[in-house]
Amino acid sequence: MQTVFSIAVDALAYGMVLFVISIGLSVTMGLMRVVNLAHGGFAMIGGYIASYVARDLGLGYALAVVAAVVFTILIAIPIERLLYRRIYGQPELTQVLMTIGITFCIIGITNFIMGPTLKTIPLAPALQGSADIGFRTIPIHRLFAILCGLAVALGLWYAIEKTNFGIRLRASVDNAAMAAALGVRTEIVYAVSFAVAVGLAAFGGVVGSEFLPVEPYYALRYMVTFLVVVSVGGAGSIPGALAACLLLGAVDTTGRYLMPEFGEFFFYLAVIAIICIFPRGLAGRAK
Amino acid sequence: MKKAAIAAFAVMAMCGTASADVIKVGVVGPFSGPFALQGKNFKAGIDAYMALHGNTVGDDTIEIVYRDIPAADPAQSKALGQELIVKEKVQYLAGFYFTPDAMAVTPVLKQGNVPMVIMNAATSAIMKTSPLVVRTSFTTWQTSTPIAKVASDAGVKKIISVVSDYGPGVDAENAFKKAFEETGGEIVEAIRMPLSTNDFSPIMQRIKDSGAEGVFAFLPSGPTTLGFVKAFNDNGLKAAGTKFYAPGDLTQESDLPALGDAALGIQTTFHYAVSHDSPENKAFVEAATKAIGKAEELSFPSVGAYDGMHVIYKMIEATGGEQDAQKAVEAVKGLTWTSPRGPVSIDPESRHITQNIYLREVTKTADGKYINKEVQTFEKQGDPGLAVAK
Amino acid sequence: MSGDSSVSNTNSMTRLRSNFIRRDLIGIAAIIITALAGYLLFPDNLALLTRLLAIALLVLSLDLVTGYCGVATLGQAALFGSGAYAAGILSAHYGITDPLLMTLGGIVAGVVAGLVCAIVMLRAHGLPQLVLSIALVYLFHEFANKASSWTGGSDGLSGIMLDPLFGVFEFDLFGHTAYFFGVALLLIVFVLLRILVRSPFGMLCRGIKEDPVRVRALGASPHKALVKMYVISGAVAGTGGALSAISTQVVALDSLSFTQSAEALVMLVLGGTGSLFGALVGTLIFMLFEDFVSAANPFHWLTMVGALLIAVVLFAPKGLYGTAEAFLAGRKKHDGETRA
Repeated sequence: MQTVFSIAVDALAYGMVLFVISIGLSVTMGLMRVVNLAHGGFAMIGGYIASYVARDLGLGYALAVVAAVVFTILIAIPIERLLYRRIYGQPELTQVLMTIGITFCIIGITNFIMGPTLKTIPLAPALQGSADIGFRTIPIHRLFAILCGLAVALGLWYAIEKTNFGIRLRASVDNAAMAAALGVRTEIVYAVSFAVAVGLAAFGGVVGSEFLPVEPYYALRYMVTFLVVVSVGGAGSIPGALAACLLLGAVDTTGRYLMPEFGEFFFYLAVIAIICIFPRGLAGRAK
Repeated sequence: MKKAAIAAFAVMAMCGTASADVIKVGVVGPFSGPFALQGKNFKAGIDAYMALHGNTVGDDTIEIVYRDIPAADPAQSKALGQELIVKEKVQYLAGFYFTPDAMAVTPVLKQGNVPMVIMNAATSAIMKTSPLVVRTSFTTWQTSTPIAKVASDAGVKKIISVVSDYGPGVDAENAFKKAFEETGGEIVEAIRMPLSTNDFSPIMQRIKDSGAEGVFAFLPSGPTTLGFVKAFNDNGLKAAGTKFYAPGDLTQESDLPALGDAALGIQTTFHYAVSHDSPENKAFVEAATKAIGKAEELSFPSVGAYDGMHVIYKMIEATGGEQDAQKAVEAVKGLTWTSPRGPVSIDPESRHITQNIYLREVTKTADGKYINKEVQTFEKQGDPGLAVAK
Repeated sequence: MSGDSSVSNTNSMTRLRSNFIRRDLIGIAAIIITALAGYLLFPDNLALLTRLLAIALLVLSLDLVTGYCGVATLGQAALFGSGAYAAGILSAHYGITDPLLMTLGGIVAGVVAGLVCAIVMLRAHGLPQLVLSIALVYLFHEFANKASSWTGGSDGLSGIMLDPLFGVFEFDLFGHTAYFFGVALLLIVFVLLRILVRSPFGMLCRGIKEDPVRVRALGASPHKALVKMYVISGAVAGTGGALSAISTQVVALDSLSFTQSAEALVMLVLGGTGSLFGALVGTLIFMLFEDFVSAANPFHWLTMVGALLIAVVLFAPKGLYGTAEAFLAGRKKHDGETRA
């Protein structure tokens, strides 16, 4: 029984980390209809900035997180203006080609500037060590990741469903021309959403770096995982993404505990099963 | 057309390079992609050797031609190998980080009259695919066997083996299992996990539940290592006194800064530590650091490449610059020299390098650097893996 | 493409047909000329050119499902790799060393893999479908890794022996035989596919891509047609896989990988989807560019490849061939119509 609880806690933590990193992608893919394969690239940039601020400058974890989000968004703004703006509304394959190109460039440039070695982000003292939760100990940074996941989920849900901006965003997504005619400045709405998505990517890259260490090939190595999680959830749906992360996290963790040698099989069979049952993803809306 | 080409090639092969010629050495390795760091180490080792020993042998000038394979891709490797032999007319092939890449090229060595010097690829069976292959790196069997004795000497009786589920991982598991069971120990469980594993908590839970006193682990060097070692500490296994044994791939020097304190105390066996204390190594590290640019990026593939160049230079000396693969390989059989890693020799039977394997422990030096500190030496280890290879 | 009245419609149909045949001949001539040029210009680089031919077959097969049927997939290498492993296993484990029989084995395996993929893939659309394809290719990959006694696992399948082609032409170090064998395979496949894509069945598939609902209303079954196309695509990809196994005499897990699939998709989009020429042009340019840049600067070529892809999206949004074709057509029309 204790083992079951223990696995459940691990699954929850893993699922939440997946959620924090990939929710930004859900925003770009679901709300902005851009298959952004460079998402992991932005998460990685965030990780590098945080590592630089916390480790090389020694400025502390909290500042590192803030700096990562801010500077990644600053880096992303010109990319959005020059490149992404050209592929809004284009066919998916064109978007794939463009964003893979961007990913390659991000990897190549990062490799050149930061070198190929692994980078770590030193945790704040309060997040180090383990906490006793009764039947086992759990690393505190995992609890932190779970909390971050919950906070992000709630914040996004509130922003999209309850705020004025959320209304404009949903209007622009459903019918850009109509929204523009009604006075919504869709260009700005898109730019802000993109910045939010990138900021979330950077935030996830930093928070998740204990699981997915920061190195130049981060962007490609985990691209598939992010894409799978978001699509299984149903792009654009926050509850869907959360459910997908928790479900796939549970399958993955349990599979790796019970039969590690067949870990991959469990994960991808689960993906196939879910999509066959829910062809639009867990929370996908009909088009 | 075809006949003309063959004739031209034969003439070239027979005349060879009489005197004062350029001898080309084709080096295939991962110079871009996720393993670019290892390729960089190849280059650093080669550059270091040429910086210390000059770029000429006799009257002949040595020229290195690099070809890139970002990840294991034998089809591409074969194509590049053929291109190097046929188009670039290299006299020697070297490098090869991944086993399948080396295996893909060995069948053409004889026809191309070209010896291959493997600077990394660590599966025992490669040596059986062609008599023209010489290896100056290590095999996973070679580095994983001595650690079993270390564990048994420490009084550990029950061990759980955890390896990545691919060729080298399986090799490591088999090597350790064989050696550990011979000492009377017991492998309570053998887990193979997918290469793509990111979250190692469930594995740690398995380790806890298995009741083993120690873990034997093998993962490819790089990001997964970091996750594994962190999970080992975070889940309280280190605190609970579980022993951690592994071959040195896990604690390669370029990963140590990222591992940091988490790695302290991990015992690994390997053929080379950058911190090895000898005048040869001092000269090597100095030259190789200069070549690679950053001291913390230097790790084990560089020494395989350095010694590989030594072997190639000896081959060129022995053949006088003539292209004669068989003669070149014969000449280095039994060759003995002092490498930066210690005394080594090429075993005449297997053409694999016989070398000392060191037990090392990750420690922090006075100036805050993390190193693999050598604490015990297993002298003149051959490759136990070849006997069991298919 | 539509005529104004029924009379001009028949006229334009015959014109269209002769136009097609002319383009067939141009296509065949272009392949032969390119192949000969490659042989004469790079006689020492045939191994790479043969590899290019094998990948071209993979990209063609991808074009059939993605370009003609609108099924986006990042898992096409599953079909390619199945063909490669089948051909390799026939030789390494069963001693069937005749290259033609091995090719046949590759085709059969490709067909079976295509059928399996079709059954799974066609259960969803759009993004979830893309993800299904990824899941499939990973499953194939893991399966091959697990079945290491058959496939050699991550060490790769080696020990593939070959008889001389037709008992005469040896597969040697210089790769002449493999090259011409590859060119012949590509030509045969190309001709068959040209016939296929303009057959009523090919037209039906294009219709499905445009509007599956209308096709269903016309009484045709999109599902059946897509499965059929997938199987054909499997045969083509299997041929490519077999060629790869025969020419390199090794097969490894990367031939079944996501990376290989993604690269094929990139080549296809680069050249232009929905056109066999586009697939060939994309493969040729991407592989030559990659080879050239990685030889010129093996340490930093990834950035340049990325820049190329971005440039193509910005300046040639229909792919290189698609954009060139549109440009030429625009000039030929000469009626002042401007094209993007």
